[in-house]
Amino acid sequence: MDTLKAFSRHPSGMLGLVILIVVVTLAVLAPWLYPEDPWEMIGRPFAPPFSEGFLLGTDTLGRDVAAGIVHGTRVSLTIGVASTLAAVCIGVLVGAMAGYWGGGIDDVLMRVTELFQTIPGFILAILMVATLGPSIVNVIIAIATVSWPPLARLTRAEFLRLRGREFVQAATCQGERPLQVVLGHILPNAVSPIIVTGSLTIASAILIESALSFMGLGDPNLMSWGFMVGAARTVIRQAWWMSVFPGVAILLTVLAINLVGEGLNDTLNPRNARAGRH
Amino acid sequence: MAGDMLLAVENLSIALPGGADRAHAVEDVSFTVGANEIVCLVGESGSGKSMTAHAILSLLPERVAISAGSLRFKGRDIAGLDEPAMRALRGGEIAMIFQEPMSALNPLARIGDQIAEAIVTHARPVPTREALDARVIELVTSVGLPDPATIVRSFPFQLSGGQRQRVMIAMAMANNPALLLADEPTTALDVTTQKQILGLIRDLQASRGMGVLLITHDFGVVADMADRVVVMRDGRIVEQGPVDEVLRRPSHDYTRTLIAAVPGSRPPETRSRDVGREPVLAARGLTKTFSTRQSLFRPPRVVAAVRNVALSLAARETVAVVGESGSGKSTLGRMIMRLVEPDAGAVDFHGEDLLTLRGEALRQMRRRLQIVFQDPFAALDPRQRVGDAVARGPMAFGTPREEAMAEARRLLQRVGLKEGAADRYPHEFSGGQRQRICIARALALKPQVLVADEAVSALDVSVQATILRLLAELREDMNLAILFITHDLRVAAEIADRIVVMKRGEVVEQGETRAVFGAPAHPYTRELLDAVPGRHLFQGPHALAAS
Repeated sequence: MDTLKAFSRHPSGMLGLVILIVVVTLAVLAPWLYPEDPWEMIGRPFAPPFSEGFLLGTDTLGRDVAAGIVHGTRVSLTIGVASTLAAVCIGVLVGAMAGYWGGGIDDVLMRVTELFQTIPGFILAILMVATLGPSIVNVIIAIATVSWPPLARLTRAEFLRLRGREFVQAATCQGERPLQVVLGHILPNAVSPIIVTGSLTIASAILIESALSFMGLGDPNLMSWGFMVGAARTVIRQAWWMSVFPGVAILLTVLAINLVGEGLNDTLNPRNARAGRH
Repeated sequence: MAGDMLLAVENLSIALPGGADRAHAVEDVSFTVGANEIVCLVGESGSGKSMTAHAILSLLPERVAISAGSLRFKGRDIAGLDEPAMRALRGGEIAMIFQEPMSALNPLARIGDQIAEAIVTHARPVPTREALDARVIELVTSVGLPDPATIVRSFPFQLSGGQRQRVMIAMAMANNPALLLADEPTTALDVTTQKQILGLIRDLQASRGMGVLLITHDFGVVADMADRVVVMRDGRIVEQGPVDEVLRRPSHDYTRTLIAAVPGSRPPETRSRDVGREPVLAARGLTKTFSTRQSLFRPPRVVAAVRNVALSLAARETVAVVGESGSGKSTLGRMIMRLVEPDAGAVDFHGEDLLTLRGEALRQMRRRLQIVFQDPFAALDPRQRVGDAVARGPMAFGTPREEAMAEARRLLQRVGLKEGAADRYPHEFSGGQRQRICIARALALKPQVLVADEAVSALDVSVQATILRLLAELREDMNLAILFITHDLRVAAEIADRIVVMKRGEVVEQGETRAVFGAPAHPYTRELLDAVPGRHLFQGPHALAAS
C-alpha cells in the first residue's frame, strides 16, 4: 500500500500511467471503435487527416490509419507483455540457479548468458523470425530470446547478494528446504528490481517488434505500427500522416512505459524511497 | 578557568522533522569543553549524543536543525555560521573523527594525498610541495604508523581498521585543531586496537593541549579517558561532572543503571552450576582455509581461517570463544552450523559426524543446532511477520501451522516481547527486541546447541545485560549448550563457564573462565585482558580470580 501511495505522488510516473491506461483502453475497445478489419480498403487512397470522415486519413491503399493504429495497439501490447513475461521466466530461472548454487553451475550459465549478449540482439531476432517464419508466436519467441540475458544477470546479482544474508542463513538453519528458502526469502526480496527492469523490457520489446514489422518480418495477418511506418516510408514526402501517426503511437507508448518503470524504480527501491522522504 | 573555555554548548535544542518518535533530538543541553581536557558524552543509541556533536560542525541531516540555544567556540557563536565560515572551521580549528574509518576515506586516493589535501584546504599560503610532503610524513609518524614512507603511498584498503583510524586522526591533526570531536572512534575496532587508538588520542591531547569531546556508549572508555563526563538520555542531560564523581558516586538512577549494566561490573556469580558431564558436541581438527585468486598468473592468496581446532560443549554449559577480528572465531561457529564447509576435521554430535551428513539427514540434524547472529537487523527477513519467522522452523519439520503459531506466540512472550508482536514486521522493533525475536526463532526448534555469534555486540550495554540474562535463563530452562562467540572479554566473563582464546585461526589457550582470566598462561590472553577498557574502575574479568 505504501508503494502505491508513493507512486501516486510521483508526477512523471503518474503521467506515464495515464498514457498507458489510454493505450490499454484503446486496445481493449478496438473491436467496438473500429469494427471493420483494419486491412479493409474502405476509402480513397491518400486521404489526408480529417477528410472524408477519416480522423487520421487513409494510407496508399485506402485503409483507415486510425483503425490501423487502434488495432496495432493490441499487437504491440500483446507482443511486448508476452515476450517480456517469457524473458522474465527464463531470466529469473537462469539467474536464480546461477546465483543460488554458484560455482560450476554459475560459470556455465553465465557463459551461456554472455554468449547471447555478444550476439547483437536485433540481428538475432531478425534471423530467428526469418528462419522460423513471421508469425506472432515466433516474433514473441525471438524477442524473448534476445531480452532475457539482462534479467538473468540482474537476478543472479540479487541472489548472490541475498544468499549470504543472515536471514537467509537463518532460514537454512531452521531446516527450510532450498526451494522454500528461495521462494520464501530470497525471491520476495529480489523482486523489486526485477519488476522495474521487466517494465523497461516491455518498452524495448515493443520497439523490437516495430522494427521487425518495419522490415516486413511481422505477422502478415496482424496490423502493427511498425508495418504501417514501413509501408508508408516511400511516400513520406507526399503523405506524412501515414508514417507520423503510427510513429507517434510507438513513441508515446514506449515513453509511457519508461516513465512508469522509472516511477516504480523510485518507489520500489528502498534507498531512493528513503532519500525522497527525508 | 573561563579563559581556558574552548567550547560552550548553551541550552542547545535540535528539532526533528514531524513524524519522528520525538519532537527534539536534543533538548536544552548545556556543557562545556575546556582547552586541554577530555569530555566524554555518553549515552545509549538514540540519546542524542551524536546529534549534539554533529550540530557543532553544522553536519546535521537534512530537515534537522538547531531550534534554540547557542554554540560558543572561543567566545564566538558558531551555531548560525554560514557555509564558507563553517568550512574554514571544519578541519581547521575544529576537527572530527568518525566511527567507521573505511567509509570516511576516499578508497581511490592514496593516504598521503588525502592528508595533504586536508592541509592544502586550510593552510594559507599553500605550502610548497616539499614542505607539504615533509608535513605529511611528520603527521603520519606522529600518529604512530609504522614505515610512514610506505603508508603515504598506500590506498585505504591496504591498511587495517586501526591503521585507517590513525590516518583519520593524522588528517584531523593536520591543522593543529584546538578542539577534536571524536564520534565513537573505537567502536568498530578490536579491544587491543581500541586501547592503542585511545592511548594515541590521549597522548596527542596532552602534548597539544587540545580539547577533546569524545562520544561513546562504553563506560569502560569513559573511565579510561574522561576528565569530565556528560550523561545523556533521550536528548537530555541527566548528569554531568568530573569522571570519578560520576562513575563512583552517580547521583542519578539512570547513570547507576548504565554503570551497573557494564559487563564485568557486577560481582561474578560464585555458585557453581550443574553442568552436564558428557559432551553434547565435540569438534576435532576443524580446519578451513580461504583462497582468493588475485590474477591468472599470480598464485592465489591463501588464508588459514581456522587451523586444527578442537572444542567440546556439554549440556547447560556456555563456552565462549574470544579473539580479535580475523581470529577465525566466527568461521568456527559457522563450520559447526554447516554454513561454511570445513576442509578437514570432524564434529561428533549424538554419535554421528555432523560433517558427513547430507541432504535430508543434515536437515533433520539442523533442528538440534541453532544460531543467533550479530546483527539483528540483517538476521530477520524484512518481508516476513515476526510470528511467521519463529513458526517457520517447526513448520518445516511438519508441525501444523496453528500449533506452530501458538508456540511462536508463547516463545515470543517467553523472551520478553509483548502480546501482538507475532503479527508485526521486524522494522517495528528496536535492536534489542529484534535480538529477542532471533533468540525465539532459534529456540522454536528446541535445539540442544545454540551458537551465539557476537549476539550482543551490536547492542547497547543496558540491552546487552538483559539479553545475557535471558540467555542464561533459557540455558537452564532448555538444557542448552551455548557456544558464545565474542570479541568482548567482559561479556565472555559474564556468561561463560569455559573460555577458548583464539588467535589467527588457532586456539592459544582454553580452560575454566576463572583460570583463564585469573591466571592467563598465554601472552596473547594477557594482552587482551590488559586492553579491556575501564579496568581500574570496574573489577572486570580479573575479579573472577579473587572470588
